[in-house]
Parts: sequence; C-alpha cells; structure tokens
Amino acid sequence: MLQVPSGTEFLATIRDATKRMAELAGCDATVAAQVALAVDEAATNVIKHAYRGASDRRVELRFLLATDELRVEIVDDGSPVDTRSLPELDLKRYASEKRRGGLGVHLMGRIMDAVTFRRTARGNVCCMVKRLGAGEAREAR
Amino acid sequence: MSELSVSSRELEGVTLVYPSGFINAHTVRVFEDELQKAMGGGCYRIVVSGQDLRYVASAGLGALMGVIEEVRSNGGDIRIAELNETVLNIFEMLGFNHLYRIFGSEQEAILSFREKAPTGAPTA
Repeated sequence: MLQVPSGTEFLATIRDATKRMAELAGCDATVAAQVALAVDEAATNVIKHAYRGASDRRVELRFLLATDELRVEIVDDGSPVDTRSLPELDLKRYASEKRRGGLGVHLMGRIMDAVTFRRTARGNVCCMVKRLGAGEAREAR
Repeated sequence: MSELSVSSRELEGVTLVYPSGFINAHTVRVFEDELQKAMGGGCYRIVVSGQDLRYVASAGLGALMGVIEEVRSNGGDIRIAELNETVLNIFEMLGFNHLYRIFGSEQEAILSFREKAPTGAPTA
C-alpha cells in the first residue's frame, strides 16, 4: 500500500511506484508505462474532483498482484464523485468547446481492462484491473 | 530536478516548442505558458517537437485542445513531431492522431506548413 499527500507534486511518486509494480507483475516497459499513466490519471481526478484541489488530504493506493491480473485501487475520503457512464469521446466537440478536462477517464478505460468506481465507508474507491500472463498470487502492501 | 522544462525557438515562421520531461497535471502549466507565449506573439504555426518528451497525461492533451480552435481560426495549426512510442500510443488511444498531424521529424513538420492544402486536422 502507498499513501501520499494530495499535492500534484506527488503524482510522480505514484507514477513511479505503479510502473515498478507493473514491471514486477510481468508487464513490459510499454505496458507498465501505460498502467502508470492510468493510475496517474485516477489520482489526478481524486485531487481535482474529490478533493477539489486540496493538497493536505491523502491519496491511498493498493496494489494486488494476482495470478492473471494486476489490480490497483485508488482510495480517497473526499466528496462523492459522479460515476455515471461517460458519453463517447467526441474530440471535435471537445476542441470547439475548448474543453481541457475529462480526457483522463477515457484514457483509463482504454488502458485498463476494467475500471470501476464505488462509494464505501472509506470513501471513493476506483478499482482498475490489467490482465496479465500467468504468475504467482500475492498481495503487495 | 524539474519534471518538465519547455523551450521554444522560431524557424522559418514556425514556433518550435520543445517539452522535455513529463507533462501531467503538476507540470502542464509550464507547457501551456509556452503555447500562450507563441500565440501572444502572433505566431500560430506551432510544432510541438517531442524528442525529449517522455510522457504525456491527459492534462497535456487537454492543453492542446484548449488552444487548437483559436490557433486554426487564425490560419495556423499545431503539428506534432518526433514522438516516442509511449507518447504516440497515448495520442492514438484517444484518437488525437486524427485531430493533429503527427510527423516523424521536426523538419517534415516545418515543411508541412509550406503546403498549399488548408490547415487543420488530417484528411486521411
């Protein structure tokens, strides 16, 4: 488990730790970098939306290496987030509306094999799964 | 060490922007400022040269989206060059390769502004 303050300067720490975990799970460098990006995006959304930019909160990451998948949970105790399905990405409309945000969730969905959001007693939990080759099951704490 | 540094230079009427490092939510402002500097100087022919760009998150892509309409409405364009495989994959994942012209070399990107075809998204 990794817990960091909610400042954006810690996104690099989150990214590096995730990349390393993905490599340990057997991902090649390209896939590991992509998984790190997906987690970077999820953590950014926590900071921006659940914590509304506050840098004095905490972002918690849990990594579970299973036989055929790497599961990453990003947990925050911030405001509930809107987890309804996103509309299909329309880049031309994005450009015409000069929109900058909202792309991260689409990236997460394209990189990872499963992305789910739920609200628990702990707060918001974003769970992302990347399917792998065969390996040993173990929980990384 | 800073995670991102951005430099730029002008060549043949084109502003070349060189992001070096990582563009994400923490560093994107530095990249945005360089784009705005070019536009503020009246230069709307911009090449983002990614030879030292290691990683781009959606914040970086969003920075491009935030200015592309203004750039194109002023007769210019933002073209992309020399992306590494990781960054190119990110562009392709969201279909940005259909919205921006991406070149293998900086020189090709600069020369593309000499073409008589109208600026804008790739036609193919």
